[in-house]
Amino acid sequence: MKKKILVANRGEIAIRLIRAIQELGHEAVAVYEKPDEMSRHIRIANEAILIGNGPRCDYLNIEKIIRAAKVSGAHAIHPGYGFLAENPFFAKACEKEGIVFVGPSSQTIADLGNKVIARKIMAEAGIPMVPGTPNLSPGKDGIAEALAFAGEYGYPIMLKATSGGGGRGIRLIESDQQMKEQIPVARSEALAAFNDDSVYLEKVVLKPKHVEVQILADKAGKTLHLGTRDCSIQRRNQKLVEIAPSMIKNQPLLDEICATAVKAAKAANYFNAGTVEFLIDSDFNYYFMEINTRVQVEHTVTEMITGIDIVRNQINLAFGQDLSFDQSDVQLRGHAIEVRINAEDPKNDFMPEGGKKVEVYRSTGGFGVRLDGFVYQGYVIPEVYDSLLVKLTVHGFTWDETVGRLIRCLQNFHIRGPKTTIPFYLNIAKEKDFVSGDFDTSYIETHPHIFAYDCEDSEVGKLAKLIAEIHYRKENTFAV
Amino acid sequence: MSRILQNTPASEIAATLREAKGYYITNTARDLSQSDFKNRILLHTDMMAAASRDRAGYFSLEITGGASIHVDMMRKQVDPFTKLKLLRKQMPNTMFQTLCRGVNLFGYRPYPQNVIRFTVQQFARYVDVWRTFDFLNHVPNMIAVFEEVATAGKLNEPCICFSTGDEHTNEFYVRKAKEIIDVTGRDITLCIKNHGGLGTPTRVGHLVDSLKQALPDIPVHYHGHNTDGNDVGRIVEAVKNGATIVDGGDSAFTGFYGPPPLLSVIQTLKELGYEAIGIDEEAVIETSDVIRDERKYYQQFESQIKGFQPTVQIHKLPGGAMGSSLEQASKGGFLDKMPDILHKELPRVQKELGNFWSVTPGSQILWTTAVSNVLGEERYGNPSGDLKNLLLGKYGPFPFYRPDNWIYEKVFGSDWQQIVEDEGGADHVADMDLGQERYALAEQLHVEPTDEQLVLYLQHPKDAVDFFKFEEEFGKTHVLPPSIFFKQGGFDIGEKIIFQDFEGKEHLIEMGPSPVTDTGETLVYMNVDHHPTVFNFAPDKEVLQSSQGKELTKEQILDLNRAGDVHSLLSATVVEISVEEGQEIMVGDRIAIMEAMKMQTPIVAEAEGIVTNIYAKAGDVLKPGDRILTIDRDSE
Repeated sequence: MKKKILVANRGEIAIRLIRAIQELGHEAVAVYEKPDEMSRHIRIANEAILIGNGPRCDYLNIEKIIRAAKVSGAHAIHPGYGFLAENPFFAKACEKEGIVFVGPSSQTIADLGNKVIARKIMAEAGIPMVPGTPNLSPGKDGIAEALAFAGEYGYPIMLKATSGGGGRGIRLIESDQQMKEQIPVARSEALAAFNDDSVYLEKVVLKPKHVEVQILADKAGKTLHLGTRDCSIQRRNQKLVEIAPSMIKNQPLLDEICATAVKAAKAANYFNAGTVEFLIDSDFNYYFMEINTRVQVEHTVTEMITGIDIVRNQINLAFGQDLSFDQSDVQLRGHAIEVRINAEDPKNDFMPEGGKKVEVYRSTGGFGVRLDGFVYQGYVIPEVYDSLLVKLTVHGFTWDETVGRLIRCLQNFHIRGPKTTIPFYLNIAKEKDFVSGDFDTSYIETHPHIFAYDCEDSEVGKLAKLIAEIHYRKENTFAV
Repeated sequence: MSRILQNTPASEIAATLREAKGYYITNTARDLSQSDFKNRILLHTDMMAAASRDRAGYFSLEITGGASIHVDMMRKQVDPFTKLKLLRKQMPNTMFQTLCRGVNLFGYRPYPQNVIRFTVQQFARYVDVWRTFDFLNHVPNMIAVFEEVATAGKLNEPCICFSTGDEHTNEFYVRKAKEIIDVTGRDITLCIKNHGGLGTPTRVGHLVDSLKQALPDIPVHYHGHNTDGNDVGRIVEAVKNGATIVDGGDSAFTGFYGPPPLLSVIQTLKELGYEAIGIDEEAVIETSDVIRDERKYYQQFESQIKGFQPTVQIHKLPGGAMGSSLEQASKGGFLDKMPDILHKELPRVQKELGNFWSVTPGSQILWTTAVSNVLGEERYGNPSGDLKNLLLGKYGPFPFYRPDNWIYEKVFGSDWQQIVEDEGGADHVADMDLGQERYALAEQLHVEPTDEQLVLYLQHPKDAVDFFKFEEEFGKTHVLPPSIFFKQGGFDIGEKIIFQDFEGKEHLIEMGPSPVTDTGETLVYMNVDHHPTVFNFAPDKEVLQSSQGKELTKEQILDLNRAGDVHSLLSATVVEISVEEGQEIMVGDRIAIMEAMKMQTPIVAEAEGIVTNIYAKAGDVLKPGDRILTIDRDSE
């Protein structure tokens, strides 16, 4: 039956969701804030609703989104990623209003969003985790617990605020002395920042690889994995380049990680699509990190190597359908790489280039190439949202073929106006450790030469500029 | 006899030339470009000609040096080194030749010794024949170049600059030649540099004969210009009297002030029994056939005054300066004064200033002085900085006699003797700290410069940096043909522009419409490799200003200047604003220095008062009528 699904997001993911909705024969309802009125997702959706002047606050406003869904008669809401995607209150509000939320239950989101509860669930299920403590006891007892933990696992150790997140409330401890000094400091800071002074410890995994497993689960309890992704190439915990499957040359390990991921998802009573994230150290020890209860930015690489449309499945699962295939139907074929082409200047600490007009947008194509974008020539990038312009995903039968395809696509991808990460990715694609598949989360900082590039505009683009000058000024003022 | 190939050692070249039965030809493409096309012939055209020029069997192709290093960067937007490298690929056999101004190298003023040596070292990797001259024929000014060329294993071709007049005897030139050979040794070619195309065929024949009598083992290379239309005559006499190498240009591009058509030379001398050694006449003809159609795109750079100028024998301007002098007269609005300047004042100034050789930078000093003497109110009343330096002996000693005292007094004032005593004589130009210069350049480019970039920067700091930045913004534009690069009046809608970039990739640009928006912005639409692209141009203030300026006549500007509203009289770059706002000045005080056509000209106040507003700053390029500053005459 034809349904209406509201897309509670913007940018490339809004278009990605709308495409899947329309392919299923459903109708997509877009919402947008005023600064996004020139956004392409509005024009692609079957209808669009202005929800406020923003910026960001309206995309984050549960009440307004629910109201938009009711006004438009939407049966379901797909939250995409970011904004309200992992907000249990939003999922709860949908449940209350009888609107299908495309994702797991609000309870699952709440449980997995709390690090301590999540760790408890996983510990009970026997999932390997980075050694850590529960919340430390207050006062001297807590410090004694901390020193005992350090005695067992050694330094360095991460001291974390229980209510922190997104890199906040974390500090690195390297000695007993520091531990004694820092715990009270961390507590008072956490109290001020999060209104909760509880802290806990975690062993630091040095130079780990970030490997995650895509999960699909139906309400009947069938839980499948779609293989691994490696998202180690990050900058301050922001993923830049993602590949599938992991290049770790240890298939039994990868199989074990996938099985563990399924086990973890089952332990959390998970349904719909999710991602189980792990850290893997150089000795092939792996540790559970967290479960992301949403579609990931990098879901495209998994789709490319499995041929399975994750978003389509999310929608069908949300409407209560069972998974129509089994684990044995999931076959990984070849390799895929996604790069997030952002309007940022990597040389200037990835400073966003918002506010600039896309003067030239010339994308690439061909065999094994996928684009998930939303900008167009003439589009002015709003300053108030994130800087992702387009995701370029390439797929190849072999790794070498895939890397070659990535290089070719980046060379033929021309965006003029804002600076972009294209030349930066081109350097990565040609860098030998990347080409050999050997990289961990320290990659960006240990390979500073990937920042050395100068050609930010294509040669023909530059020459065209001179020709435009000659045309406009009626003579070549540089020559006469 | 066969041609001399690139990479032949200098001693072997000299030995081959001594035995030569016949003569060799140098194709002076650079000099032709400089004399008849204001140095604008593009690498694109030279690349078209390269294959047949290489087959033609020239002794050498003169393709760099002179003013070309500067113009390559400033007006053709091509790296002079890139030019040599690309041409070398297409021309593996032919020796490349440069024209070097000795201590003034590829610029207009003396450079420090270490800069000269570093520059020669870098260029010597691509340049086989080094024609070196000094406008005062002062041999010490050329020694550093001689030494570095010899060290690099390349061929020295020292020049004796030639002119006419009582002092310019065969004895003088033979003595100069010997003075040179004492420094260079005998494995050289000796150039008679007849940059104005002066003297009759007979006169040149006698000079060559004298040199060959005195120095029979020294191969003589005769270089002339066809300004009077008679250089073929001089070449014939030179060869008949023993010259081994002569110069000419490709006929499809020959004009009035550069070299004569070399095919005419070949045909004339053939009948007289002289063989052009190594020359493939078919390849010579083919070159002109290949590039003939390109000439029309250079029309704007050809002399506005058509016809040969036999009066060059009076004014003696070198071929390389004819075009730019006429251009300056035309732009400055004093074409009507040219007969006076060329036929009366120039020969007079020439005599008064010591009868030295009218060639860079001496020719610019003579020209500027003559122009200012005619246009100004008083002869020598507005002396340029370069004239002062000449009088102080900064370029070297006067070859024959020193100018009269009254000129010194006019230029330096009543205490001129003291000034000459204090400041006179050749300066020791201190070595530059090249590490410091490299650092300064790196600061501007934001990357470590190459040695070649540093060399270009050392010659012309501002223009080199401007060029490097241009290339960063617009790419390697030397791939564009003159039909695009020099396009005037804009392109048509739908016009297709096809070219290859420097990597050889094919591109297509189709021009679209260029509407103007409500805000005055012009949008230039085009399809670049089939992709729609738009470039925005904000309304240009500069264009508005200069169009206002154009309404002022020269008389109006002079009136304004006298009233204290100082405007530029010529197209020139501001080198210095010599006063500050609020400063009190007198009539005759220097208020600014402008530079045009390589020469610095001081601007003096024609009103007294207080400087109220300064509009121009150093580095600004002003057009006639652009405002420089205002002087308030009421405040006393």
